[in-house]
Amino acid sequence: MKSERLDMTQHRRYSGIKVGALAVPTIAALVLTGCSAPASSSSPAGGAQEFSLSFATSNTIESPFQVLAEKYMASNPNVKITFNPQPNDSYDQTLRTQLQAGNASDVVVTSPGSGTGRSILPLVQAGFLEALDESAKELVPEGSEALFGTDGKVYGQAPEITVVGLVANETAATAAGGSGFPSDFAALEDQCKSLASSGKSFIALAGSAAPNTGLMAMSLAASRVYAGDPKWNEKRAAKETTFAGSDGWKASLEAVTALNDAGCFQKGAAGAGFDAITKGLASGNSVAGFIPGPSWKQLKTAAAGSEFNVRALPAEASSEGFVYASANYAFSINAASKNKDAAKAFLDWAAEPEQTKAFAEIDGALPVTGLDSYDFNGGAYKNVGDLIKDGKYGPLPNSQWPNSAVYDALATGVQGLITGQKTADQVLQAMDTAWGQ
Amino acid sequence: MTATMQPKSEAAKAPLRGRRAPGEGETPRPRSTGLQLGHWWWALPGIVLVIAIHYVATGIGGFFAFTNWTGIGSFKIVGWQNFEAIFKDPTKLGALTNTLFLAFGSVLLGNVGGLIIALGLNRMLKTRYILRTLFFMPVVLSPLATAYVWKYIFDFDGPINVFLTSIGAGDLAKPWLADPQWAVWTVLVVLVWGSTGFAMVIFMAGLAGVPVEVEEAAAIDGANLWQRFRNVTLPAIRPAIAIATTLGIVQGLRVFDPIMALTNGGPAGATETLATQVYKQAFALGNFGGGAALALVLAAIILFFAVIQQRLTRSNPED
Repeated sequence: MKSERLDMTQHRRYSGIKVGALAVPTIAALVLTGCSAPASSSSPAGGAQEFSLSFATSNTIESPFQVLAEKYMASNPNVKITFNPQPNDSYDQTLRTQLQAGNASDVVVTSPGSGTGRSILPLVQAGFLEALDESAKELVPEGSEALFGTDGKVYGQAPEITVVGLVANETAATAAGGSGFPSDFAALEDQCKSLASSGKSFIALAGSAAPNTGLMAMSLAASRVYAGDPKWNEKRAAKETTFAGSDGWKASLEAVTALNDAGCFQKGAAGAGFDAITKGLASGNSVAGFIPGPSWKQLKTAAAGSEFNVRALPAEASSEGFVYASANYAFSINAASKNKDAAKAFLDWAAEPEQTKAFAEIDGALPVTGLDSYDFNGGAYKNVGDLIKDGKYGPLPNSQWPNSAVYDALATGVQGLITGQKTADQVLQAMDTAWGQ
Repeated sequence: MTATMQPKSEAAKAPLRGRRAPGEGETPRPRSTGLQLGHWWWALPGIVLVIAIHYVATGIGGFFAFTNWTGIGSFKIVGWQNFEAIFKDPTKLGALTNTLFLAFGSVLLGNVGGLIIALGLNRMLKTRYILRTLFFMPVVLSPLATAYVWKYIFDFDGPINVFLTSIGAGDLAKPWLADPQWAVWTVLVVLVWGSTGFAMVIFMAGLAGVPVEVEEAAAIDGANLWQRFRNVTLPAIRPAIAIATTLGIVQGLRVFDPIMALTNGGPAGATETLATQVYKQAFALGNFGGGAALALVLAAIILFFAVIQQRLTRSNPED
């Protein structure tokens, strides 16, 4: 009997340990999950202000949105900002889901126009964004009013002007020899052949990453479509033209094949990811990449010994130069926010010339105000300064497209052009089909 | 046999010979109505949750398949328009073909490989326990993490191309995951690698039930290795085959994460499946209605093949 009792006692003890072993991690997981839930949006007592901020991140470098917000907190000790960074590739889905569920951050980073999942116009149509005041209106770049809102109201505050074209490793370009950076497309093809024969490439391409192939095609269309007809997107929206019927767009996609045939891309480019661009440009094995202008600053931190500049992709003729320069991001306020006053105060502060200048410097972009008097000499944007001063620039085309499926059809189609799966006509037809979705 | 031949009266007294039976000497309590009903209501919270999470949510998702909802804002009912778009779009039809190819390819190769490994590791080898663990390891590991390892292996600068170059076959080096002809095969290799261990475990459980005596008797009767496998082992593990192939097909038809990590459906849709298309349409491209319609089509295909496969592999025709 004694041993039986002992057995039972031990059995109970072991059972207790088992239950404990299961219960402790379960409870801990539940508690941690509870702790990791978004912070309450209620304002604390004592005059303090609190709001949350969502933005996309794609690397370990501190986001300029976070740096600016930290600066705001430093100058306003009674303000607490909760940061909700999201991976860039899932930011659109997360933002839409949270807005639909009513638990998005008070301030969210959006994009002007309607071409992406985070674009302002569809979010406004769904009633998710709050109209902003005069200070935001004043920051809307000229000609981009329709991308920031409807009915004369503005729903996004531009923090900077982003130039999109080529980011070039000037040190690598000089080391490659030749007659300097190519001035037109034919010279570019020649330099591609020369570099390919020495095991290097002119362009570092992330062929498996749709955003990069799409950006390349749009860069090729800058001089072939939008330089001669800046209102092309409006004509497409009015059904006055189509992608398949556009000689400029066809020439742009044929130029993709021409670049591929000339050996402009690094070996294995079709399967490469974004890391290939960073590695290629930082190491000097490639000269340039189709990435947003502010990336020059991040590349500079990776390869301090090299000089990186922002350039326009060489056009067929040097006189046809055109570059994309527009506000590609915006601060917006969640219409369901309970902290609109605190959020608006932050946006008013961010709209001050001192802060817009600081934001551009943090991110390595151009300031959203004072572009006319901006000194391009000596900086990373010196090679696009003349184009911008001459007004030969416009917004990224896809910001004016009606949905993200059009850009996806372009980006996926360019992959098909590189691998030989598709023709330019097929890609353009797919873009027209996607436009009507 | 002895137990079944035991007289009823003796069997009834059997507990008296041993230790005291539980409840002996106590007046038997009449069974309550609740016990007779089995306290079915204890399962009510679970039933409610299953209905709410599985069936109601699926039903709502099914409803959106007939709308033009973008994932936000209002929507209109568009009837069968989303389904018509699916069968008119060559990308979706390509995704359907890839889905069937990858599902049946991985089931066939994974199960044949799993069966061969299970037969090899069933009895004889001394190292069978270590080998079983090694072969089962891919099932336990995260499909997403292993897919990234495979992505590195198939990368243009990865070990396969380095090896090919080192043996003087550099011309064969290619971006395997971005090659329109090879991409879907490389994905298949990864899927088979991940599913073989699972099939092996199921077949090993089935093989444990095959009586050694019957195999020995067949051997004594002069049956060779193939005949013993064909006429003794295979019929005995038929239920295991049914389970392994059913689960394999269901898993193969809805494969998602390895493809997203390996190719993201590329190049230019060459490895797109219905599951990746559902995700892209519903969440990346803001076409929630189209994505929901595609999900319904995928569910119908899984159901169809699961039923067909169950009917083909059932051991008792009356089941």
